[in-house]
Parts: sequence; structure tokens; C-alpha cells
Amino acid sequence: MTATSPTPRKKYDLNFARWVYENVDGGDRMAKCMQCGTCSGSCPIGDQMDYGPRKLFMMIRAGMKEAVLTSNTIWNCVSCYNCVVRCPRQVPVTYILHDLAALAVKEGYAEAKTADNARFAKAFWWSAQKWGRTDERLVTMKYYFSTGIGDGIKKGMANQKIAMAMVKTKRMHLTMPHKVKGTKELQAILAKAHEIEERGNNGQ
Amino acid sequence: MSKKYTFYPGCSSQGSAAHLDRSLRAVLPKLEVQIEDIDDWNCCGASVGHIEGGFIPQSALSARNLAQAQTQGPQDVMTPCAACYLNTHATNERIRNDEGFKGKLNEALAVAGKSYDGSLHVRHACEVLVTDVGMDKVAAQVVNPLAGLKVAGYVGCQTVRPFANTDRGNHFDEYDRPKFLDDFTRAVGAEALDFENATSCCGGSVSVMSPDKTLHLMKKILDEAQAKEADVISTPCPLCQTNVEMYQQQINQKYGTNFNIPVVFYSQLMAVAYGMDPNKDAALNQQIIPADKLKGMAK
Repeated sequence: MTATSPTPRKKYDLNFARWVYENVDGGDRMAKCMQCGTCSGSCPIGDQMDYGPRKLFMMIRAGMKEAVLTSNTIWNCVSCYNCVVRCPRQVPVTYILHDLAALAVKEGYAEAKTADNARFAKAFWWSAQKWGRTDERLVTMKYYFSTGIGDGIKKGMANQKIAMAMVKTKRMHLTMPHKVKGTKELQAILAKAHEIEERGNNGQ
Repeated sequence: MSKKYTFYPGCSSQGSAAHLDRSLRAVLPKLEVQIEDIDDWNCCGASVGHIEGGFIPQSALSARNLAQAQTQGPQDVMTPCAACYLNTHATNERIRNDEGFKGKLNEALAVAGKSYDGSLHVRHACEVLVTDVGMDKVAAQVVNPLAGLKVAGYVGCQTVRPFANTDRGNHFDEYDRPKFLDDFTRAVGAEALDFENATSCCGGSVSVMSPDKTLHLMKKILDEAQAKEADVISTPCPLCQTNVEMYQQQINQKYGTNFNIPVVFYSQLMAVAYGMDPNKDAALNQQIIPADKLKGMAK
């Protein structure tokens, strides 16, 4: 594991919280969170999260880095932005959850390898980077098979009817992936962007 | 007088939302809206690109599109996709407001000899129709009013969310109870149902990867549409359309329901009301759940 962010050694160690405030996209606003719970109350999928955003933010303040980065909260966010538009302190909750998910990947937590959203994100980025476009069909297949061949076939079979209907209505094609002409150029831009990101603090 | 925009169709235009692309391209000339695609546009990264790619690479995807668009002229960039709008608009705003961020993205673009100064405006297709074209003009083109068609207007989340505060400094609508979609419905002569779940989430990309987590969210939307006897659900969002349509069978299996409600784009309603071809223009042959009543109204 590569630790990008500091790991607190004692309870209520603010090191991790400070790092989040300074390095996570929208983290500066998170410092203003007053724990009202509007975010958690607005979340359509909060009942399927280990902790709602309100609690997760308090855990960050309490220095519970590992519990935060291994929670399913960061993977189950549906990106509806209900919380963002309703937060009375203008905390961009969705952006923060997105960045925490990226941090969990970067630091190599096991959950960041097994979570469905993490595996889907991997398949998605593969297509975006390789072709410059999302090939919905290949991203879905790659995601289905990311937990093994047997599982992939099972998931494929379960969604076979949908796939056939999509092909029939010409909303899924069967030939080569759609791609940009400038794949080399796009890949060079992304490689440079990655290098810039590695230099530190999220470009903020 | 016609107005020109640089158009960003997004990846779904070549796949799951091909019928949005087709119907929108069909109706825009009627409204004197001229579009030119961003040359060699790429994916915006949607709601998951940042996880594996990281924040700066995710933003660089939008920056390349904006740099490309800028070479095609100073006109506004218009996109019909909620996720494309969210990412492109958010990146554009940051480039404008944060010199450091702008510098970093330009450093990345420079390896391909490109640059972007933040001067373009990024707008959602619906907002262009509401603000620039105007509902009067949208209604004036109707030759085949969809009288008697009950429409549940399902806006979804991202179309009107943090960026409801649009580039032109106005809210083109409110983020909690938006009305613009019902305005489209009424403009084409159909009946806009009072739809409380207009901005309830369909689960977005989580529905694509793990529908078990989100079928109940889509069920809630369908329950209300069925209870209010909607003939069709209308939406502006590519992913909402696909999720709410393609999972009905799985929802029926899981909950013992009998949903079979067509989900169409506002632009498909417009094409039918404008007297255009139901398949070639309105793309109704691309519905998984056929919109028979709507198709029957076509001229």
C-alpha cells in the first residue's frame, strides 16, 4: 500500500482531516460541515451505505482514516447531487466522495479492488483511455468478467434479454468499438495529466 | 435568424441513447438551431472516470473537448447528455475560476499542441431550447398536437443539479421541482401529469453495475407513473431513459409488478408533434418497450 495521505496514530488525530481539507476536491468546504445531516437525509441510497455522508465526515474529523476508506459509502454514491444542492454550507459532498474513492484506489485498499464501483470504474477508464470513448458493450462485458469467467457468464446470461433488445433496437452495435481519431494524442494528454496529478494536491 | 452551436453528442449518442441523438438532430433545424459537432470529441469520464483515472486526467478529458471546440469558433457548446453537461460545464467553470487548475490542464493539453482559455460557454440542450429558442417557438412548430397523451415528466438528477445555475447566470430551472420538462410536454399538446418523482434518482451508473441495489429506486418512479396512468414517461437524460426502460422486466420479476411503460425523450415527442417520421426522425423504432400510443399519433 502506498500511503498518499497521513495515517492517524491516535484517536481524534486531525492529520487526516487536515489532509482531506487541503487535498480533496471540495475538502476546504468540508471543514465548514455543521453535521446537520441534510446530506444523509437526502441520499436515495443511504440505507445501503455503511455510514451516511454526515457520519463519514465526522469520522474523517475523528481520524478514522481506515474505516472511511474501507467503507462502502464511497462506492455506493449514485452521483445524484441531491446532497450538494441541499447542503446549507455548500459542501460539495458528491465531489468529496468521488475523491475519497480515488484515494482508496491510490492507496491500494482491498475494498478498492473488490467494490463493484471500483471494478466498473476500471473497465470504464480502460475504454475511455484506449478508445477515447465509452463502448458501453465492452465496458459492461469487462466489468461482468472482472470477478472471474464463471461469474461473468452468469451475469451475462442474467442480462441477455436486455442485451438482445439493445442490439435489436440498434442501441448496441456488434462491430469495432467507436473511437476517436486522435487516440495517440488523447493518451499523451492523459499521461501528462496523470503525471501532473502525481505531483500533488489534485490540481487545486 | 438561426443560431449556431458547437455540439457535443457524447458516447451514449452512438449507443444506448441513439434515439435521443436522432430525434434531437431532426427537430433542431425546425427551431433554427444549427449545430456542428466537436471535431473528434471524446468521452467526458461520466460519474466514474475519476476513480481509476484521477481528478486531473478526468478533467483533461473535458479540456480536450473544449480546446477542440474553441478552434471551431466562439459559439456556445451544447450537449444533450446530463453527464457530459455536468463534467464539461464543471471543468469549464473551474478553468475560469482557478488559474492553477487552468495552468495544469493547459500543461497537459500542450503535449498535443492544444490549449484552452476558458472563454466558451457550456450549455444543456434543454436550456438552449428554453432560454434561446423559447417555448413559444417550440410550440409554434407543432402541426400534430399530441392531444390525450398523458406524460410523466421524469427529469432525473444531473440535468438540473449543481449546474442549474447556468453559464448565462440564470437558473433555467429549479433543482428540486423543475418545470421545464412539463413545459415541453404542454408545448407539444400533450397532458403533463403532476409527477412527484420528477427528480428521484434512477441509480445512475450504480444501476448499470449493480441493479440489485437500485431496482427499488426505479420501481418508485414506475409506481407513480403507473398509478397516474401515464402513457409514456418522458426524460431528457440518456441514462435515466435506458435504466428506467430496460430494467422494467427485472423489476417485474423481483416485485411481482406488471410494468410495461414506454420511456421516451422529450425530443421524440417533439418530432411526432412536428409531423415528422415516427421512425426516421422520432426514432420510435428504437424503444425496447414500444411507445404504441405515441406512434399511433404520428402523421
